Amino acid sequence: MTSDHIRKMFTLLFVAGFFLFLFGPLITMGLTAFNSSEFPRVTPWECFTVEWFDVLRQDQRLMQGIKTSFFIGIGVVFVAVPLGLAGALLLTQVPDRTRPWYYTILISPILVPGVVLGISTLIFWDRMGQMFFGDSVFYNGYFLTILGQSTFISAYTMLIFIARLQRFDPALEEAALDLGATHVQTFRKVLLPFLKPAIGSAAVLAFLASFENYNTTVFTVVSEATLTTVLVSKVRYGINPSISALAVVIILITLIGACYYELVKRRELRAIDNAKRVAGGGASVVQRRFFAEPAAWLILLVFVVGLGTAFVAGTTGVDECKVEVKEQKRVQTEARIKALNERRAKEEASAENDSVSPAEPRTRAKGTENFNSIFQKDNLEGQMDSSKSDESSDKPARKGTENFNSMFDQGNLQGEESEAETRPEPEPKSRKGTENFNNIFDPGNLNQPDAK
Amino acid sequence: MNWLRTFFRRNGTPLAIFLLCSVLFWMFMMIILPQLFMVDFSLRANVPPPQWGTDTHSYTLEHYKYIVYGSSTSTDQFNTLDMGVFLRTLVAAIFVTLIDLILCYPIAYYLAHVARGGWGRLMVLSLIVPFWINEILRAFSFKVLFGTTGIINNFLVGIGFLDQPYDFIRNDIALWAGLTYAYILLMIFPIYNSVESLDRNQIDAARDLGSPWWRIHWRVVIPHAKPGISSGCTMVFMLTAGALAAPSILGGPSSLWFTQIIYQGFNQASNWARGSAYAIILLLTCIVFVLVVMKVFKVRLGEIAR
Amino acid sequence: MSADVELKNVWVRFGDFVAARDVDLHIGEGEFFTILGPSGCGKTTLLRAVSGFLEPSDGQVLIGGRDMAGIGPNRRPTALIFQNLALFPLMSVWENITFALEVRGVNRADRRKRATELLELIALPDQGDKMVGELSGGQRQRVAIARALAAEPDVLLLDEPLSALDLKLRQHMRSELRAIQQRVGITFIYITHDQGEALTMSDHIAVMREGVIEQVSDGTTLYDDPGSSFVASFVGENNYFRGTVVDTDVSYTTLDTPSGRFRGRTSKNQSLRKGDDAFVFIRPESIKFDSGLDNSLQARVRNQEFEGNFWQVFLDVEGENKGLKLSTVNDGRHHENISGDTVSVGFNADLAVVLPAGPLAAE
Repeated sequence: MTSDHIRKMFTLLFVAGFFLFLFGPLITMGLTAFNSSEFPRVTPWECFTVEWFDVLRQDQRLMQGIKTSFFIGIGVVFVAVPLGLAGALLLTQVPDRTRPWYYTILISPILVPGVVLGISTLIFWDRMGQMFFGDSVFYNGYFLTILGQSTFISAYTMLIFIARLQRFDPALEEAALDLGATHVQTFRKVLLPFLKPAIGSAAVLAFLASFENYNTTVFTVVSEATLTTVLVSKVRYGINPSISALAVVIILITLIGACYYELVKRRELRAIDNAKRVAGGGASVVQRRFFAEPAAWLILLVFVVGLGTAFVAGTTGVDECKVEVKEQKRVQTEARIKALNERRAKEEASAENDSVSPAEPRTRAKGTENFNSIFQKDNLEGQMDSSKSDESSDKPARKGTENFNSMFDQGNLQGEESEAETRPEPEPKSRKGTENFNNIFDPGNLNQPDAK
Repeated sequence: MNWLRTFFRRNGTPLAIFLLCSVLFWMFMMIILPQLFMVDFSLRANVPPPQWGTDTHSYTLEHYKYIVYGSSTSTDQFNTLDMGVFLRTLVAAIFVTLIDLILCYPIAYYLAHVARGGWGRLMVLSLIVPFWINEILRAFSFKVLFGTTGIINNFLVGIGFLDQPYDFIRNDIALWAGLTYAYILLMIFPIYNSVESLDRNQIDAARDLGSPWWRIHWRVVIPHAKPGISSGCTMVFMLTAGALAAPSILGGPSSLWFTQIIYQGFNQASNWARGSAYAIILLLTCIVFVLVVMKVFKVRLGEIAR
Repeated sequence: MSADVELKNVWVRFGDFVAARDVDLHIGEGEFFTILGPSGCGKTTLLRAVSGFLEPSDGQVLIGGRDMAGIGPNRRPTALIFQNLALFPLMSVWENITFALEVRGVNRADRRKRATELLELIALPDQGDKMVGELSGGQRQRVAIARALAAEPDVLLLDEPLSALDLKLRQHMRSELRAIQQRVGITFIYITHDQGEALTMSDHIAVMREGVIEQVSDGTTLYDDPGSSFVASFVGENNYFRGTVVDTDVSYTTLDTPSGRFRGRTSKNQSLRKGDDAFVFIRPESIKFDSGLDNSLQARVRNQEFEGNFWQVFLDVEGENKGLKLSTVNDGRHHENISGDTVSVGFNADLAVVLPAGPLAAE
């Protein structure tokens, strides 16, 4: 019995750990959307605020990206749903011997990396344009992205239709024909109503898959920018909690969607159950009481938290709090700078005594220069916009201890991104970092020793 | 021809035309021809677009040679950088796939056969939420989490485990964790679906026959879940190896992902041909992986892509 | 309106498989015609050829004298009732019933009216607004019939529509179907593997085996004068002995079998010669506990089963490994258990029929 208990405990711990892994990052990110700190973080908590949602709303590029994504998503729905439907309907009718090939070809885009699909779509249509029109007529972000995404999204919708069609009785079609309906009538009055739920799910799935696609889109989108491409460039260069705010919005929409889905499903179950009861006279199996369900409590919880948030946001003086925090920080920073200066003086003194250390960092400094730049970029994004301070003045003097300092500074500076401009101390920041900032299309920012 | 006649007869002309046109367009203009054009393109010299199709756009293997030998002006004998990136991507993708499998199998089993009723369904339903959150936002959340002032560093420093914040991003830990996280649901859903379809009586019967729990899994549950497991593994591997957003967000300075090299070929180096060649290498890798999975698990392709 | 149906030398091939082999049938106007055969014999194929879901590989299908070649199922004057009924699950009962009118563009009010009439006909008034999922098996059955009748077909085709019902309902529906057929007066072509259904309802029955029509006749002829060993063994229960013809004339044939020498009627439709391999068939109810009849033999009682109005007695006969079945009316004289006893049984030559050896129906 005890070993059984231990196993049960272990299982529960594992499950709890798994769900923590799954939701922890999302919750943390969600919380950062409400912290007034310029850098998305939970600790230290500064002030409760909803201003990041305003920042989000005023972000023109992001809003434009969402708009583009929306139109592309609609386009994908109109391409992928009919294609998937046709693919599924034809599947049952192709000759037996060709069926495996047919299926393999149509399903293969699911197993092909999105990057490859994007590239092949781009190249193909570009060359088609060259060959037939002597021009890049197809070189259009909307056109290419809709086609590129539909390549694999159609396979998804096809799978949905195949699953639904498996439960379709072909005798129904024959019955309609036999009763005098034309093929089109049969399709419209018998097959289409049967497929309606599947068409709904396929459309939703197609839209969502399109909306969140990045890998294919980034190649086919050409000069447009979708939500995902904007997000990636944003997240890589200069993050602020407005992105968390966006995540909160998406999480809420998803939650509402999930709850709605659950409700619809329950209503369907109940309808079937009722029909059965009428026919068979059995008792209801599906619980009727909504609030007996944990899902209901979850919805309630989300609702209450949402209301509470709105209430708190409305009553708390964010500005007062901010001033307070700022003052606190100023005091802290001053103390830290003092400590820092003392420490540096001490280090410089000891470095002069040490004959090896000045030489070593110098040789290494060259090799790791690139490292440092990126290193800083990654960690100091918060400052990107605000810090215009000239850092070169102090640089030569610090050369010898650069490695030391950068590590040291980092620990120090991390807490203070928002005060970058007030800090008297120069940052060990290379030009490289800012250059990279301009070049959005530089993945990883790593300078390959590439002889191009 | 005979088939075509039956087909038209069975569907009626309007519907038959719609079906044929849609599927032929999808199959040839969206799947087969683009892939073939990409292969063709990767085998040609890198010339500016106006010269495409002309004599200067000649066939060559230079782009495939490049990944092995690197540039001719380079002094190195081999292109260790690109090959290194490729190998690392491959190993990381396999590793991430295995971790996801180990994490997800018990959970899928738990959700399908241990957790019952409302809570079980709530847990399954709640999985949808992270699933529909953008891959980029998920990566972003890991950046927040693992940042130098992130909650993890603050916690570890706070309890005195570390005296300095640890740079998770630079050491690729954030990337690995983020990739494990990014596609974990594509592992859990197929396994959950296949495990759930297992008749509980089979488990009870095995238990009744005195089988220990690990043997029940090894002999009853896992064989039944094979299609789900192979499907999950394939998807996770393909998505991880082909990931572009997460590595560019979470990748440390020293870690380049193979897809990022491809991307550079298209956007920075303006060498579409080499980008295509690399994309084909990625594609072949995924095909090989799918074939290996099919062989190892003895499943058909139809069972993987579901 | 009603029409006759004619199949002329119809062949249906699926690759190498022949589902119908040179079928010639004439089904009279207003007839209740049944095609009877074991599953896989090709009877559904014939029905689909008539309804237009498949074109014969060879031969002609004529309905009301009109060649149906190239005419699709939606333009033939037939209506088919499917084995699983194929009621549209997403439509209400009345919408199902008047679907044929809907596709012809009849307006809603008229359709409603017609639905009410048809619901009366099938004795389901006021059920029109239900969904088909809410109906019981027998009710669905009737809705399917009404739906087919609403199309006003000349020929109604029924593909084992009763097979999903339980025994009692099935028996009830038999007489109901027959009554409906007589009321509407159109041709019914009924497909079944259940000989009880065939015998009770039909004007004529065609027995089919492996794509070939074995015999076409009315029910009593089929039972009493089977045309082949297959029909004899398939329709009703039958005992048989296999042997060699030792003597034959127009009326009677004598066979030598391992269990003895038996005499039976000579089959009308088959010719037999001395020395031929043949069967003598004898119905269980024609065997009596009587050694003074035309044929007699000794047998040991294996066991006996009581069925209320009948006793079924199973006998072991020397030289036969399959045994013999005898059924006798329960007249109160056979209540004692005679299992293990040796008894003398016999049958009259007029009640036995001799047919050339051929395939038998599977047990």
